[in-house]
Amino acid sequence: MMSVWSRRPHFLHLGLFIAAYVLGCGFAQALAIVPGTGISIWPPSGLFMATLILASRHSWPWWVLGGCLAELFSNALWFHNPLSVALLIYTGNVLEAVAGAWLVTWACRRPFRLETLQEVLTLVVLGAGIAPVASATVGSATLAWFGMQTFAAAWPLFWLGDATGVLIVAPLALAVLQNCGGRTQLSAARWMEACVLGLIFLGVAALSLSGHLPSAYIVMPPLLWAAVRFEFKGAAVALTLLALITVVFTISGTSQFVGDPEFQKQMQFALQLFLAISAFSVLTVAAVSRQHQQALLTLRDSERELSQLVDMVPSHVWRLRPDGEPIFFNKRMTDFIGLDVADLDKPGMSRLEAVIETVHPDDAAGFGDALRRSLAIGESFALRYRLRRADGVYRWMSSRAEPLRDQDGRIVQWFGLCHDIDNQVHAEEALRRSEQQLQQMIDAVPVRIWSATPTGGPVYFNKRYQDHFRSVIANFEAIEEPRIEELLQELIHPEDAPEVQRTLQNCFETGGGSSMRFRWREKDGVYRWAECRVEPWRDQAGAIAQWYGVSLDIDEEVRAQEALRERERELSQIVNMVPVHIRRLTPDGEPTFFNKRLLDFFGLSDVAQLDKHGMSRLAAAIKTLVHPEDATRLLETVRHSLATGEPYAMKYRMLRADGVYRWVDGRGEPLRDQSGAIVHWYAISIDIDDQMRLYRDLEEREAKIRRLVDSDIIGIVIWDLDGRVIDANDAFLRMVQYGREDVEAGLRWFDMTPPEWQDVHAREEAEELKATGKMQAREKEYFRKDGSRVPVLIGAACFEGQSRQGVAYILDLTERKRAEAAQMRAEEALRQAADELAKATQATSLAELSASIAHEVNQPLAAIVANSHACHRWLSAEPPNLERAKTTAERIIRDANSAADVVSRIRAVFKQSTQTGSCTALNSAMAEALDLTAEEAARRRVRIDTGIEDDLPLVALDRVQVQQVLINLMRNGMDAMDSVQGDRVLLVRARRMGDVVQTEISDRGAGIEFPDKIFEPFFTTKGTGMGMGLAICRSIVESHGGRLWAEKNEPQGATFVFTLPVEVKAVP
Amino acid sequence: MTMDEHVVFIVDDDARIREALSELLASHSIRTEAFGSAGEYISADKPDTPACLILDVELPDINGLDLQRQIAKGDHPPIVFITGHGDIPSSVRAIKHGAVDFLTKPFSDADLMAAIQAALAEDREKRSARADLGVLKRRYLELTPREREVLPLVVSGLLNKQAAAELGISEVTLEIHRRNVMQKMAAASLADLVRIAERLEIPITHSRRAEGNRA
Repeated sequence: MMSVWSRRPHFLHLGLFIAAYVLGCGFAQALAIVPGTGISIWPPSGLFMATLILASRHSWPWWVLGGCLAELFSNALWFHNPLSVALLIYTGNVLEAVAGAWLVTWACRRPFRLETLQEVLTLVVLGAGIAPVASATVGSATLAWFGMQTFAAAWPLFWLGDATGVLIVAPLALAVLQNCGGRTQLSAARWMEACVLGLIFLGVAALSLSGHLPSAYIVMPPLLWAAVRFEFKGAAVALTLLALITVVFTISGTSQFVGDPEFQKQMQFALQLFLAISAFSVLTVAAVSRQHQQALLTLRDSERELSQLVDMVPSHVWRLRPDGEPIFFNKRMTDFIGLDVADLDKPGMSRLEAVIETVHPDDAAGFGDALRRSLAIGESFALRYRLRRADGVYRWMSSRAEPLRDQDGRIVQWFGLCHDIDNQVHAEEALRRSEQQLQQMIDAVPVRIWSATPTGGPVYFNKRYQDHFRSVIANFEAIEEPRIEELLQELIHPEDAPEVQRTLQNCFETGGGSSMRFRWREKDGVYRWAECRVEPWRDQAGAIAQWYGVSLDIDEEVRAQEALRERERELSQIVNMVPVHIRRLTPDGEPTFFNKRLLDFFGLSDVAQLDKHGMSRLAAAIKTLVHPEDATRLLETVRHSLATGEPYAMKYRMLRADGVYRWVDGRGEPLRDQSGAIVHWYAISIDIDDQMRLYRDLEEREAKIRRLVDSDIIGIVIWDLDGRVIDANDAFLRMVQYGREDVEAGLRWFDMTPPEWQDVHAREEAEELKATGKMQAREKEYFRKDGSRVPVLIGAACFEGQSRQGVAYILDLTERKRAEAAQMRAEEALRQAADELAKATQATSLAELSASIAHEVNQPLAAIVANSHACHRWLSAEPPNLERAKTTAERIIRDANSAADVVSRIRAVFKQSTQTGSCTALNSAMAEALDLTAEEAARRRVRIDTGIEDDLPLVALDRVQVQQVLINLMRNGMDAMDSVQGDRVLLVRARRMGDVVQTEISDRGAGIEFPDKIFEPFFTTKGTGMGMGLAICRSIVESHGGRLWAEKNEPQGATFVFTLPVEVKAVP
Repeated sequence: MTMDEHVVFIVDDDARIREALSELLASHSIRTEAFGSAGEYISADKPDTPACLILDVELPDINGLDLQRQIAKGDHPPIVFITGHGDIPSSVRAIKHGAVDFLTKPFSDADLMAAIQAALAEDREKRSARADLGVLKRRYLELTPREREVLPLVVSGLLNKQAAAELGISEVTLEIHRRNVMQKMAAASLADLVRIAERLEIPITHSRRAEGNRA
């Protein structure tokens, strides 16, 4: 039910249907001219059937219900049949409509358009013929049942009425219902025609039906005209109009079908028949017309499609007459050449010539000839040429033409096709060019290329290869089907040939690529190295399609490699020859290479021998090969360098193969790549064991020297000739009381040297050093820091090879000087005593002498007395100390003897010995005396100038006594100058004056006041002194037979002069 | 008299004399130390006992008389000069500067010994005096600064009142100081204290009379 409800039609449609149905009932009632015989035409049957045909079957109950309502309404309005009769008749009508609709749709499939003859026939036969049987049977039976009419009388009318209703109304209903949505536009001419037709039709219909014309069927021509010209719409409208006119005339009674009541039935029948035949004819004609129109439309459509196709295909299509005149160009062609066929008509030339004109001038002649030849002999035509496009550009075209022949084999037309192949031609050209280039390239590249069939058969060689062959193989041109192996055998060095042969064959058999190196002969007969690579080219299936081979001249490369190898070998030899241990480490420190020298040193044959389980090679190497004391330090140093990338350098001991540790100087540097990352470490070590030993010796020696310098026994100074003290030891600094900071501040020799030594220093010492490199030890003085003087003994030497620097050894002579001074003083004292005694001996007054003699004698005497008392006491002690008494007694004897000596010495002096010595050269005696006083003179800052003749004659003299005189006089002179400012110069001269030798001693002292008195005993001008010296001197000189006197000097000073007689006896 | 109690220093440049004198004094059981020069004597370590110096006038470095003058400033043993040839000016000069005797060589045992004994006795006396003074000095050092101020006022004979006024302190306080001074200096009486002050060479700065006049 739901489905029925849901499929309900629009109520508007249903309402219209009901209204139309009622109207149809009314129309039928109007035509029911025969009372009691029912109706002549039953339009509702057509309406009902058409509606059901168009409506879906599910909605049929609704239409049935609607029809029921309409019929019952109409029955109540016009027919006045009993309800049961009405329902039964309606049931018959429903059966008719359902059966008709079902049959029609069954036979013709939906949608039912009533456009074909088949559809018209189906409607006429099944809808209008068979279906009314149901309604006629049911209706007639009902009428008969209720006794209104007989079955037989009612059935034909009933059937005919229904059939006529179907024939007239169903097409109209179908046309109206199907076209109610769309609008059919009619042209003005059609409208005019429709109007004229309508007028004619109406006129004819009115005339014929009204009986003015003999037969009602005269209306047929306009009816058929409408059907032909306007098809179903026209037919339906015309039929409807016909029915209406008929109804009008029938009702009005003017119709020819209105007549006598006896003939009512026949008339009714005739009317129905007339309408049915008209409807049938008109529908049939309309269907035929429609079909024809349809066929025309289809043809037009297909023609249009074909024409579109022709225009759309991406080619130019053209048609020629058998004589070659173009009759058709498709749109594409027209667009291309910018001309239609009609535009080709030019005066003075045929269309074909006009076409040929559009072809490229280069191709025009060929094109014209080829086309004319084809036209002449009827052969198909195919050509490529350039055609001018509308914009003037020529494009390549590929054109073909075939003749169309009729059944007799005569040529009717030529059909041509040409398509644009410009891109293709250009592509082909490009391809050809690139192929050409490739070929040129292959010929130009400086390699030799060949290709062969999969089995190595006939070979292609590039030009270079061919040239090569030609130049080497005499009869190359004569060889047919050369095989690559054979040709190579001709060329290749005999040593390499078998290998090449094998490799090639192997390639061809296994299908694998290969590369070979060999020497081959060049045209000048020289063999050069070449490399040949062979590779198969496989097709898509993987089968070998072609073999390709490339041969490169690698002679230079091979030679370069050989040279490189040679250099590498040399380098390696150098690495092994240099007297240095070389090793290479990885960036993380693993040794990867030791040079031979290092391996020999360690007694290893390979670095890998160092590997130990559980530790790195570096650690293992250091542990086993480096002295245990150095190992840790070295490992740390190396690891530090590895971590930081800094080079390292250290000295350590390595274990030589013979078990001896030797010192080496090891250094490591990283090798970095361009990015700065460390690639390797290179480390070298140099055996410096001998140097180390040398250094150690040197150090020891230096320590010894240092000990010497620092021993503080002797002052040591490093100096230079500019006067600087470069370094000095503590002993020296202590000596001169300077501090080390003074040395550092630039202590100078010169500043320390007293003025009187400056000259000597500059003159003698420097000279000596320059000349001999040494300065003999000498005594001199230095200033201490406090200005006091220190006497020193100094010796110096220049450093070897460095004449301006040297070392000086300085000994402090203070103590020695003091001791010497003391000793000298003691000696002096003794000498003085002696002198004084001597002087005393010269004295005439014993009383004066006694005082001095007393002192000399009293000393021993005092000792003697004291000893005597002591002796006495030791002896008288209880008990007597004999031992000590004895000692004292011995001393007494000794002292007494000493006293006696004094006495005897005095006596000796007093003896006034005149015994003169042998002949003596005065020079030597004087030289000795000068020597003796030289030191004193220096001390007293007295310069002694001498003027002694070299060849003084011999003199008989007591050498000692004469020397005493000389010394005494010189000393007197020095004494006299003690208080003198300025130069202290003592001049000693000796010369021969006749038969005497005269000696003069001059001083620059205060001079003498009493030149005669000074020679008297005990006359003195000095604070100390006994006044004995000159007296004794005079007596000595006189005892030698000479004279002694004094003279005054100008401007100051005095001169003592003595003479000694020349030893005449000595002269023969 | 034992060897330890005293010593005789001999300075003579003549070894024979030194030997002989040492021997002689040894026979008298007198310890001797002999030096060849004045320098040696000066630089030698000398025992702190009563001593005597036998000094030759003629010496190699400095004259005996000069040596006497040099050492006169300090404490030194009494000197007995000996000389080879005595002259009057030298002997006078020596005696004037405190020499015990001036003997001319050769001299007799008795003269020498007498001179030595005299010299040693003198030295002993000098030593004991020096020792007493030392005690007094130590005592003086024990005084407080205020007491040291009080002492000269007291020994000057000032009355307690005057002394107190002088120092600006009360008479009672002064009396306490004065008693302390007497006690510390171990003075039996004021007279004793005055004597001690004299030995310590404490100057008498005030006089009662002058003070009185001024008052």
